[in-house]
Amino acid sequence: MKNKITTVLLVLLAAFVTLGGTSSCNSKKKAAKAAAEAEYKARVAEAVRDLTAILDDETAWTLEEKEHRVQTIKDWNLQNAEVDDLLFQVEKKLARERAQAAQRAEEERRAAEEAAKAQQPKNVLEKNFASIANAGSIAQANRLINETLQLFSSNDVPVLIIISQAGGFNDYDRPTTIENYLNYLKDQKVNRNNVHELKFNDNGKITEVELIKR
Amino acid sequence: MKKIIATLALLVLVAGTAMAQDELSFERKQAIDSLALEKVRDLSKYIKIVGSKETAWSEANRVIDRAEELFMSNAEIGVSSISSNKIKYFKVRPYFEHLMRLNYDRVEIEWYNIEYVSDLQRQPDGTYVGVITIFQTFRGYNKEGQLEYKDTTKKDITVYVKRKETQIGGRMIGFWDVLLGDMRVKETANK
Repeated sequence: MKNKITTVLLVLLAAFVTLGGTSSCNSKKKAAKAAAEAEYKARVAEAVRDLTAILDDETAWTLEEKEHRVQTIKDWNLQNAEVDDLLFQVEKKLARERAQAAQRAEEERRAAEEAAKAQQPKNVLEKNFASIANAGSIAQANRLINETLQLFSSNDVPVLIIISQAGGFNDYDRPTTIENYLNYLKDQKVNRNNVHELKFNDNGKITEVELIKR
Repeated sequence: MKKIIATLALLVLVAGTAMAQDELSFERKQAIDSLALEKVRDLSKYIKIVGSKETAWSEANRVIDRAEELFMSNAEIGVSSISSNKIKYFKVRPYFEHLMRLNYDRVEIEWYNIEYVSDLQRQPDGTYVGVITIFQTFRGYNKEGQLEYKDTTKKDITVYVKRKETQIGGRMIGFWDVLLGDMRVKETANK
C-alpha cells in the first residue's frame, strides 16, 4: 500500500513537472514572438518615418547619409508593402539627386578649369590685346599697355605674325616688337590676331610671341 | 656635245626649281594681297590720328614714326586742293607734319573704297607690285564748328611686297615685307 502511494505520488510529480515545463516554454516563445513582432513593427515605423522624411526633404542628411540610411532599411528586408513602395520612390529620388550632384560637380570642375585657363599667360595676353584694342581712351590703353609689358622680358621682345600656313609652312608679316604691337592695337583699335605660341625665360617672362591671323 | 647637253639640263633644272619657288599658291597669294590692303588701312588710321586736333603732340609723333615704317624711303604723298590745279608732293614725314599743322580747329579724314586697281604682279627681281586705290574725304572746321573746306580725293598707292629673311631667336624667319610707294592724286572733287 505504501509502495502504491509512493508510485502514484511519483507519477503525479512527473506529470506536474512535465506539464509545468511545457507551459513555461510556450510562454517564453510567445514572449519572444511578441518581442520580434514589436521590433518588426518598430522597424517598419522607423523605415516609414525615415523614408517619408527623405521623400519630403525633411532631413538634414547629406546625399551619402540618405543613401546609407536607405541601404540599412533595405538590409532589414522588412517585406512590407508600404516600406517597399516608399523605398522605390526614395531610390528614384536619390538617383535624381545623385545625377544632379554629378552635374553640379562637373559644372564646378569646368568653372575651375576655365578660371585656371584664364590665368594662363596666353589667355591673359589675348584678354589684354582685346582690352587695349577696345580701350575707351588713350590713357586707359596706355595703362593696359604698361600692365601688359610687365609680362615680357623687355619692350623689344619680337612679335611674329603668321599670315598664312598654306603649303605646310608659315608666311609671316614683317616682325615687330611687343611695345610697337601693343601701340598698334591702340592705334588701329582692332585685334586681328590670335596668340599662337609664346616663349618664356627662366623667370617666367615672355621672350617671343607668335601670333596668327584670324 | 655631252657638256652642252649637261649644261642645258642643269639650266632647265635650276630654272624649273626657281619657277616652282616663285609661283605662289592661291592661298599664299591671297594672304599677301590681304596683308598689303591691311597696311593701307593701317595708314588711313594713322592719317586720321595725326590729322585729329585732339591727338597729343607726342602721340602724333609716335604715330608718324609708325607710318613712316609703312613706306619706302623715298616715297612721296600727293596733296591736292579744289582751289588749285597744282598737286604738291611731300616726303612721308613732311606730309604728316603738314597734316598736323593744318589751320583748322577740327579735321575729319575718312578713307573708303580701298581696293586693288592693279593686282600684285611678280617682277623679275621677285618683288610683287600692285596699285591700290582709295577715296579720301577731308573736312576742315573752324572754331565755330562751321565747315570751312571739304573735298574728296581719289589716290593711287603703289604697293611693293618682297620676301625677306631675318634672324630671330637663333632661327631664320621668312617674311613678306609690304612697303608703300608713292601716293598719287588721281582726282579731286568738291564733295
